[in-house]
Amino acid sequence: MSSPILQLDGVMKSYDALLATNNVSLDVVAGEIHALIGPNGAGKTTLIKQIYGSERPDSGRILLNGENITSLSVPKRVRKGIGRSFQISNVLTDFTMRENAIIAAQAQRQEAFQFFLPAFDDASLIEDAMVILDAVGLTSKADILVSELAHGERRLLELALAMAGEPCLLLLDEPMAGAGPQESQHMTDIISALRARHGILLIEHDMDAVFALADRITVLVEGAVIAHGTSAEISQNPAVREAYLGREDEAC
Amino acid sequence: MTRFFSLIGRGLLQHRAMMYLLVGFALFPLYTGFADLPFWNDVAIRIMLLGMAAMGLNLVLGYGGMVSFGHAAFFGIGAYCVGISSYYDIFNGWIHIGFSLVTCGLMGVIIGLLSLRTSGIYFIMITLAFAQMLFFAFVSLETFGGDDGMSIDRAEFGLIDLYEPLRLYFLVWAALVIVSLLLMFIVHSRFGVTLRAIKSNESRVEAMGLTPLKFKITAYVISAMICGLAGTLFASWQEYVSPDIMHWTRSGELMIIIILGGLGTLAGPLLGAIAFLLLEEFLPELIQAIAPDYAENWMIVFGPILIAIVMFGRGGLLGLLIKLFQRKGAS
Ligand SMILES: Nc1ncnc2c1ncn2[C@@H]1O[C@H](COP(=O)(O)OP(=O)(O)OP(=O)(O)O)[C@@H](O)[C@H]1O
Ligand SMILES: [Mg+2]
Repeated sequence: MSSPILQLDGVMKSYDALLATNNVSLDVVAGEIHALIGPNGAGKTTLIKQIYGSERPDSGRILLNGENITSLSVPKRVRKGIGRSFQISNVLTDFTMRENAIIAAQAQRQEAFQFFLPAFDDASLIEDAMVILDAVGLTSKADILVSELAHGERRLLELALAMAGEPCLLLLDEPMAGAGPQESQHMTDIISALRARHGILLIEHDMDAVFALADRITVLVEGAVIAHGTSAEISQNPAVREAYLGREDEAC
Repeated sequence: MTRFFSLIGRGLLQHRAMMYLLVGFALFPLYTGFADLPFWNDVAIRIMLLGMAAMGLNLVLGYGGMVSFGHAAFFGIGAYCVGISSYYDIFNGWIHIGFSLVTCGLMGVIIGLLSLRTSGIYFIMITLAFAQMLFFAFVSLETFGGDDGMSIDRAEFGLIDLYEPLRLYFLVWAALVIVSLLLMFIVHSRFGVTLRAIKSNESRVEAMGLTPLKFKITAYVISAMICGLAGTLFASWQEYVSPDIMHWTRSGELMIIIILGGLGTLAGPLLGAIAFLLLEEFLPELIQAIAPDYAENWMIVFGPILIAIVMFGRGGLLGLLIKLFQRKGAS
């Protein structure tokens, strides 16, 4: 059997007295969407940060395609195949959509450190950029400044940028947050189609989206995994219902 | 290669203001020649050199979003490269320039590596601290004149005798053209675009698999070398160098020039230098004529004028000019 795309092995992380990640082990295999759910403050984002490299675990190992990446920097991990969309929109707001995508395209080609090659008016980069935007259906708005975009469109752009590097693993931190029902549906459709090309670790509070998308679900409470299984198993799990799903209507 | 030239062509069109200014500086001596105002050539040289230093700083400040409060140090190091060389009887200007570029490049790497790991107010303070350190180092270096500074001979550039009127002027002008073209390339290149992206949102650039620090240090070093070149030519023109050339107020002056002209634009710093030095030149006389009692405190008027332009003319003078011409074009 080939090794999973992502494998966490006994990952621990504490902030002073707070145990934010408590002995978490999980994996993401090719072709699956693995959802990570849990109440606010459960440590979902903290876990993603450790996979991404902006935080280091105190102990435990993180493997990407079987390679230990636990102590690599963020850019190195990204170049090894990790793409991330953040909980709070994280795009280049001073630029147009097309320019965002061009900057991502030249980084992907490892040509960002070029002093005498044009960027925004280079035909082949523009072509690449349009392919990147097309993946989320945004080509018609390529020339709009990101700061003038609606929230939902920024989320789509961020997803497009995360995919631009053709990562084997996508970390999506609440991509539907703040989106209306229609936008959520659109986003769900797009993410669903991505599983063929990227392993996906998805954090999401919108349970409709989670059950529509996830192949497997891991439930995190106070930093620890309390349940793990297929969508069907998790929706029936009494501990999960009590710890998390039951509080859904009041908490979120 | 063709892409390289198409970049020049498009760059020039995009930067018409820059072209007009450079052509203007080239033709200016014709005017001062006919009108017999040689003094104004010196003012123009000062403007071009401070403008060049501001353009260098602008790469870091305007395009990279790094608020370096110590760039006068590089200007000063460039100037002292002439002083120190002359002290050891080296008068060749090309050697001065080489010495300056290498020294400022190295200092840029060192200061950059140490300061660019911080950001915000810490970065401002660390860059200021390095500049102050260098300032006091030169104050205490008695060999090179200490506090009083040292007078120096103008450099020799082979057949170009800088004591010949206008030779120095056009040497400075040529350097300004080269720096302008270089910056034009950099700003529109993939590197430049990435640098601007880092200013906009560093963590997204990191998420693209790039190391922002690498880009920031490179920009910092280039900007240090440009400031150094300006300082080197400045020392040769002034025939004198003292620690005052790298006083922290000059770092502030360079920042004001940039904001006045247009932060993060190519022509802005040069335009800002013109406005700044003309105000500095004329304001005292103007106030002397209007209200002689206040003539000594002309800075009190200078300050608010600067603040007003910075606050109300978003985009600086260049922004104002562009708006003006667009309105004309529209009507
Ligand atoms: N840098 C930090 N320093 C100290 N505590 C932190 C830090 N980052 C996160 N925490 C704490 O760790 C816990 C987990 O936070 P985290 O952001 O991972 O939760 P989350 O599951 O993503 O929650 P949400 O659903 O609200 O996004 C919280 O109690 C939070 O306050
Ligand atoms: Mg979170």
